[in-house]
Amino acid sequence: MRIIRFLFATMVAANAFSSAARSADVEPVEYIVSSQIVSDEVTGSNTSGGESISGGSCAPGSACANRNGLGVGGVGRLAGTGAFASDLVQGGFAGDITSGCVPRTYGYPDLFYNFYTQGNCNATNAQMYISPVPVPPNVGHTFYTYQPFMPHEMLYWHKDRFHNYYDGGRGMNHTKVHYFGPPVRQAASNFYWNKLRIPR
Amino acid sequence: MKRYLLSVLAVVAMATGAAAPTAKAADPYAATQLWSNQMAAQRAWHGNYAYLPYGQPTALVVPPNVHSRQTLSWGVSQNLMYPLNHQFGRNATAPGALPAGSFQATPHWPSHTDQFGVYYVRGPW
Repeated sequence: MRIIRFLFATMVAANAFSSAARSADVEPVEYIVSSQIVSDEVTGSNTSGGESISGGSCAPGSACANRNGLGVGGVGRLAGTGAFASDLVQGGFAGDITSGCVPRTYGYPDLFYNFYTQGNCNATNAQMYISPVPVPPNVGHTFYTYQPFMPHEMLYWHKDRFHNYYDGGRGMNHTKVHYFGPPVRQAASNFYWNKLRIPR
Repeated sequence: MKRYLLSVLAVVAMATGAAAPTAKAADPYAATQLWSNQMAAQRAWHGNYAYLPYGQPTALVVPPNVHSRQTLSWGVSQNLMYPLNHQFGRNATAPGALPAGSFQATPHWPSHTDQFGVYYVRGPW
């Protein structure tokens, strides 16, 4: 898929993530990443990671098919832990790994993952999304589920390739994207801003 | 005939040479990226000031091929240019946000661009 998009010169701002500071009264933000629950909290969350399997062992030859579908431990069960996504892991799908059943996965690349400032000397760290304007935690969250449309890709002229493995590595979806701006208009703009504009 | 062919070849070579993308980074081993990582590991991405609308130092995402940042300040020859090393990465890092008031507010009469609490961080590649 070849996407022709204009190169946005927008600078997106991201704030230092404020949800961590208010974790006393706000639920920790959880994201579905490859049908696993990955928490944004760095430490101190017992729901992070997809390996926390609570009720997932099914004996060979028993009700495995039922558990794999939407039956006993699947999507339909919303009670219990309360969160739909955590039910997805704890109830049925990831638990079948132990018994040899192939779980139902939703693609290996993350559906959404944030980016964070790096380094050892930061007194505080910032997450890149939500951008351009962060919202209070009670407002909600937005997710980009298609990586080529993430706004930080529009910041500069480049090519990028996105791979999506599925079916246990037997299938691969490959997307190559060209991010560029219109050359003639860009040249005219550069000529104006670099040569003609009166500095003031 | 031979001279004509040679001249045609020369013209073609010149044309293709001129049309080829010229600004290739002469950095095959990504040494500048290594420098940036090392520099970013030893320095904070933020200064001592918070962006007032958020109460925290705020990262301004710039394209990842940005090289440097300029600071403007009151006074003689205090307009400095620094390399821009910090870049957003995939690893979730600690600590998160500090309590409100951990950073200084922008003064009533700012004398430096760092005092506005907005700091550049390059976006991921």
